[in-house]
Amino acid sequence: MTERRVVITAASAITPIGHGQKPIVESLVNGKSGVATLRDDHFVSRFIHSRVYGTVGYPIEYDFSRQHRKTMGPVSYYACQVAKEILEQAGLPRNFVTGGRLGIAFGSIHGSPTVQREIYRIFFNAGDRESYQGIGAVDYLKSMVHTTAVNISKMFGITGRIISSGTACTTSSQSIGYGYEAVKYGLQDAMLCGGADEYDTTTVAVFDNLLACSTAFNDRPEQTPRPFDRARDGLVVAEGAGAVMLEEYEFARKRGAEILAEVIGFACNSNGGDLILPNLDGITKTLKLGLENARIHPSDVDLISAHATATKMGDIIEAQATGAVFGKTPAVVALKSYMGHTMAACGAIETVVTLYMMQEGFIAPTLHLEEIDDRCAMIRHVQKPEETPVKTAAIQNFAFGGVNTSLLIRKLT
Amino acid sequence: MTRQEIEKEIRAIFLREFEVENPEPDVNLRDAYGFDSIDAIELLMEIEKVLGTELTQAEKKKAMDIRTLNQIIDYVQILADCRQTESEKN
Repeated sequence: MTERRVVITAASAITPIGHGQKPIVESLVNGKSGVATLRDDHFVSRFIHSRVYGTVGYPIEYDFSRQHRKTMGPVSYYACQVAKEILEQAGLPRNFVTGGRLGIAFGSIHGSPTVQREIYRIFFNAGDRESYQGIGAVDYLKSMVHTTAVNISKMFGITGRIISSGTACTTSSQSIGYGYEAVKYGLQDAMLCGGADEYDTTTVAVFDNLLACSTAFNDRPEQTPRPFDRARDGLVVAEGAGAVMLEEYEFARKRGAEILAEVIGFACNSNGGDLILPNLDGITKTLKLGLENARIHPSDVDLISAHATATKMGDIIEAQATGAVFGKTPAVVALKSYMGHTMAACGAIETVVTLYMMQEGFIAPTLHLEEIDDRCAMIRHVQKPEETPVKTAAIQNFAFGGVNTSLLIRKLT
Repeated sequence: MTRQEIEKEIRAIFLREFEVENPEPDVNLRDAYGFDSIDAIELLMEIEKVLGTELTQAEKKKAMDIRTLNQIIDYVQILADCRQTESEKN
């Protein structure tokens, strides 16, 4: 199969530390956290031990018409907004956008939990016709697992293929990876890729019941999560969205598009075992497969964006796997230290933030990394901002279910 | 219900639920306002509220051929008259 080069021509993100490049970079430079106190949802929040949440705490001006809003839950607002921004940024001609050679790879962990909660509330209260009728005709469209991808396709008239992975924390790294493969092998000429997740306390409840959430910093939310730090005590669930536009290199070059970076490799594998525990062999293999796919040496990588959720075991296993494959050469940053774990969006957001660092020529430190856990010390942690060019970066993500991804990007010179 | 009362109710629904102000009476609603099958289902639920009674599946299916505001008003008029007749019989 002929392999084509794939480049990134646009990127945007809505995150707990800002919306778009300038505010996000400012937060990184100033060491600003986007973690806040968990809001009362009048549902399960009163039982949750972890009182922290990576919150998008600023208003976003949406200008979606009712024709589009009627099938959108909160998750699709985030998704369509970042999609709109990267379509504008990429400047693709309208006839290309609607012509079938632009596809979408976009997902969320399970559609819109806010809408699903209302549906279930009605189910459990049902018993009369009025309650039954409360299930609106559009509730499924708002809450289904591929709601983000199809709402984007509807809003912008995109007619290419739809990929909507829903693999928890690897959802959007898979979006980018599978989008990359679709363009690389000529199935599409461009792919709009990303992921989103909305504010959702039921996700917090799941991790809270697994004792995986941070609880020791409930009175100081901005000091958690603490990836790789000795005092880390678990992850912080967060909301947000990230998206990138992938295009075939020659197509992008000929139309004069700004090229932010090239996607040079992607790998995805499964641990084939436990669905929760991190797996050293599985993760190590993913990282090696990513390098093989990119046809580069570990020492070629300048920067690694670690998955690093700040759980006790997850960080240790990731540090061990990363150390075994890359040694101490590349700088390693844990971006979740700034914003928490944005679930389906994390792979895309971390790719976008890595692109921003590439563009700005600096590497943000892992926030709150005051005392490195000895068991995580076999990699080169970034503890202070570094002004340095970043040419090649790896973005690592691992998900519940034992799914691992590694994405490699390189700045064009 | 008089035809005038029905028209007032339907126009209020269009403004409140579909953000369509003063729809033209005889234009194709899909072409002019993007009124689609999802909106049609929502409209039927609103019509049930106006009439204060449930629509049968057969009655709902008849609505699927409607294209204009005047046709909606005709449709509701027939339903309202039927219910009035039934109520007088009982």
